Amino acid sequence: MPIEITDIARLAQILAKSGVDTIEIEEPGLTLKIVVDTGIRIATSATPAATDAPINDHSIVAKADVAGHFLAAHPWQDKPFVVPGQRIEAGAIVGLVKVGLLYAPVVAPAAGTVDAVIAETGAMVGYGTPIVRIRPLN
Amino acid sequence: MIEILSVTGPASIQDLGRFDQYRFGVGTSGAMDDVALRAGNILLGNDENAASIEIPMMPFKLRFGRDMAFALTGAGVEAEIAARAIPSWWRSHARTGDVLTIKAMSHGARLYLAVSGGIDVPVVLGSRSTQFRGEFGGLHGRPLQVGDNLPCAASAAATGELGIEPAEITLARPKAAADETVVRVVVAGEYDAFDAVTQALFWSSGWKITPQSNRYGYRLQGPAVKPQAPVEKRSHGIVPGVIQIPPNGQPIIQMRDAQTSGGYPKIATVIRADLWRVGQARLGTKLRFEQTGYTDALAAESEMSAYLDRLRTNVRLVEETRTCR
Repeated sequence: MPIEITDIARLAQILAKSGVDTIEIEEPGLTLKIVVDTGIRIATSATPAATDAPINDHSIVAKADVAGHFLAAHPWQDKPFVVPGQRIEAGAIVGLVKVGLLYAPVVAPAAGTVDAVIAETGAMVGYGTPIVRIRPLN
Repeated sequence: MIEILSVTGPASIQDLGRFDQYRFGVGTSGAMDDVALRAGNILLGNDENAASIEIPMMPFKLRFGRDMAFALTGAGVEAEIAARAIPSWWRSHARTGDVLTIKAMSHGARLYLAVSGGIDVPVVLGSRSTQFRGEFGGLHGRPLQVGDNLPCAASAAATGELGIEPAEITLARPKAAADETVVRVVVAGEYDAFDAVTQALFWSSGWKITPQSNRYGYRLQGPAVKPQAPVEKRSHGIVPGVIQIPPNGQPIIQMRDAQTSGGYPKIATVIRADLWRVGQARLGTKLRFEQTGYTDALAAESEMSAYLDRLRTNVRLVEETRTCR
């Protein structure tokens, strides 16, 4: 059963009220991780992303921060947001995650060159799912 | 404050319209695509009647005078701010001095630029909409010009990049052909003045949208549709959506800047739930009319409302979730 955005909102509220700062739910093909900002900065890096492609030690990964279906292009555009070899700036949109009627952006954490678009259009992604691998500028 | 740096065609300030002045002969004006206007305001957490800029032609360029959130809805466009590309139906954030450039329109016919709090021009007769015919409302009652400075209301707006599914995707209708928009209509007062063959012609034809189409009305081109005998009527009340047949037999659809009365025979009326589709149909493309009954027209309206309800709920939940994090 897919996790609805209403469930995520409810879970987040429960976490905020209970003082628990992190929850992770895993199901086949679906990972959801919710981190509540409790004011104390703690490392929130998830387990390293397991992908088929070998990971360059220096590469950085743009990750989804919400669960939904990945879109490499806006439905009105033929062209995907990014293609391998493309130079991108920090904060650039590299894809969308569709949740209900919403399109949440997946953004590049740093400037660099796109190495690979890891996620496939239509695939279910979750919190922390690697979407695009980027070779940083030096 | 927003400064207009470049404008093509008659861009104007529009809210949902001016609805209480019909008895004085003052038409509604208001956004040609009211669904897109509402969607932009929902994205920003604005009152849904907040005024936006309706942009019918590209290129268009403006500069933000202070930090503020904005949203682009309606037509699909290629837009860029501070070297960042902005997708269609999207909410983003501008910093003081940022220039927003809208280069090309890939989809639809009218873009809506909403800002957090809305464009704060004076309310005239209950609305901020520009009334071109009467030359009031909006900014000095006229289309926007280079150098215009638009006041923006202060607002603690929602921030963060976020997109929504365009109405045209959620409310997709079967298409007759790639370049045709099918709109549902109910028959109007003088429908029976046309014989069966002419009525059939009206339904079966693809009606080309001529360049003489604008916020006042859409003039269509196709086979001549004429009543059995000339119909002469006194001027009577008409509303946006009414399809009139002038003596040349080429239909005119009254749009948001229509007069409040007219005398041509009325063959049909575009249902309210589909009027935004006409507003987004491009010049040179075709319209096709699908006959619909009153009950189905109401059902279409419910479907449109349900889309807006879902948008409101989805956007609100995202804001709440983000606040929790």
